[in-house]
Amino acid sequence: MIKLENINKTYFGAQPLHVLKGINLNVEEGELVSIMGASGSGKSTLLNIIGILDNYDDGDYYLAGKLVKNLSENQAAEFRNKLIGFIFQSFNLIPFKTALENVALPLFYQGVNRKKRNMMAMEYLERFGLKNWADHYPNELSGGQKQRVSIARALVTSPKLILADEPTGALDSKTSAEVMQILREVNATGITMVVVTHERGIANLTRKIVHLKDGLIESIEENDPDKMDFTKEIK
Amino acid sequence: MFNRDFWSEIFMALRRNKLRTILTGFAISWGIFMLIILLSAGNGLKNGVNSNFADRINNTYTIWSSSTELPYKGHKAGRYIMLNNKDIQLLESLYQVEEVSPVLSKGGTLVFGEKSRNVNMEGVKPIFKNIEGIKIVEGRFINENDMKNKLKVVVIDKNTSEELMRVSGETSMIGKTVYINDLSFIVVGVSKGMAFGEMGQCFAPYSTIRALYNVNEYYQLTFTTKGLDTKEENEVFAKELKKKIATLHEFSPDDQRGVWIESQMINSLETMKIFNTINIFIWIIGIAMLISGVVGVSNIMRITVKERTNEIGIRKALGAKPRSILLSIVMESLVITTIFGYIGMICGVGVMEIVNSIMEASGAGTNAEMGMSVFVNPTVDISIVISATLVLIVSGVAAGFAPAWNSVKVKPIEAMNYR
Repeated sequence: MIKLENINKTYFGAQPLHVLKGINLNVEEGELVSIMGASGSGKSTLLNIIGILDNYDDGDYYLAGKLVKNLSENQAAEFRNKLIGFIFQSFNLIPFKTALENVALPLFYQGVNRKKRNMMAMEYLERFGLKNWADHYPNELSGGQKQRVSIARALVTSPKLILADEPTGALDSKTSAEVMQILREVNATGITMVVVTHERGIANLTRKIVHLKDGLIESIEENDPDKMDFTKEIK
Repeated sequence: MFNRDFWSEIFMALRRNKLRTILTGFAISWGIFMLIILLSAGNGLKNGVNSNFADRINNTYTIWSSSTELPYKGHKAGRYIMLNNKDIQLLESLYQVEEVSPVLSKGGTLVFGEKSRNVNMEGVKPIFKNIEGIKIVEGRFINENDMKNKLKVVVIDKNTSEELMRVSGETSMIGKTVYINDLSFIVVGVSKGMAFGEMGQCFAPYSTIRALYNVNEYYQLTFTTKGLDTKEENEVFAKELKKKIATLHEFSPDDQRGVWIESQMINSLETMKIFNTINIFIWIIGIAMLISGVVGVSNIMRITVKERTNEIGIRKALGAKPRSILLSIVMESLVITTIFGYIGMICGVGVMEIVNSIMEASGAGTNAEMGMSVFVNPTVDISIVISATLVLIVSGVAAGFAPAWNSVKVKPIEAMNYR
């Protein structure tokens, strides 16, 4: 699903910052992978590159078998829209749209008509127990509800890949457990998932943990989340 | 692309940002509103002054008799020069002169029923109406038929007409017979003309007065010219004419007085110059206003786009193509500028129409005693209003385009993390 070959990324500011120093990584279809590392290790940058939200300087990145390099804005938009669903730490919901409208938005960019769009969005909201909250605006929702809305939004286009950047970073431990449970269930339907986190507890719920340090992969750890009891506190 | 979803997205964005929308809109409405008020006021002033010259033709001259200032060839200074038939012959011999209309002045008493009134009767040709810019409020002026048949018809002034109607109880003076110096005249018209206190002003056919009174001297000669279009040509002509009349009447050609020669063309060119200056001034203010409106719109659009950077980032992450983002921002500014520009336009035109109708009803802006208008029909050409609104709309769109383009170019992750 994801194939990274010697990815390099430098931020050119007042002081050039070499964030990724040659990343090689394969993620197979249906995998649940977490990327761990201290802040500044480059884990978010790596996720942004995988999500084509940012570009890279050197190396090759294949997504679903296609080389993602020097894409036009339109091509990138197409990839993101069709293949990838995003879940962010700060949810990134549009504040002046209702939960339903937020979930339906990716479908709007696919040209799905309003009726079908709203129907599909409602289906996903229902799946995450938010049917009664469909007409609420993000500021009327709790953190966990917001994150569930954004998960619904990520899933509504039936993407092949879900990218989650610190999905539980803004949530308390109980809600975090719920969200991780949802993500695991989503993964169980065959959707590839990459989660960036700095919490060991979250990483322990994934099958493969990629440890990142100073822009390089330090180690890749195989993990069996079924040994973990995720109903317990994970922090 | 421009389906219901597209528009509902735009209107939702506008509704959700009410304050911003209203502020932007107000800037636009206000700009257009003020522009219309300004242009209308300028037009009102111009129309007001122009209305005093309605029907007046410009290629005309008036020669007034006067007294000399300088001694010349044994004649003492202060001699009064009366214009006579030789002057008329002289004028008629000049190729620049089209038609001469001497003014035969005859004072007298007008009697109608019980009422009598002092009047100054002037025997004139039909062209005199256009030379003097006389306005007829009822009936007609002297015509060629009156001239040919030497009819005893008269045009009286409005004050006299009203006075006669008041005393006699008639509702109109047209067709009534009045006596002037014991000769009967039929009233054919009422002129707005200037009244000189208690003295009425009457116009009768030149030929009639000529036949009734053997007048061969004139206080005033008027004539129309052809081929004299510029100020310079008229100045040269006037100077030459003065020289010829001076020779005829034996007064110094350098005499500032003797006769007065007044060119309507020179006067109107001067007036036009003043109005062109006023007009340029108004346009400069108007354009400055429009520029400030455009700057206001661009600023707000820039802020709008900055404010929406996060949202744009999110939309891009969800698969929005640059074109759709660009289009929605540009259409948003287009919708705001169009709607509010239109509101400003309606308000401006509405206010000026109300002012206009109030002024018309109350007669404000006209000086009744002098029969002069200073402020008439303060409205503005709708095509100018529409083009001004269009300029604002186009510039609003252009103003929205640049920042929108920049934000579209920004990487989605940077836009999302923008604070």
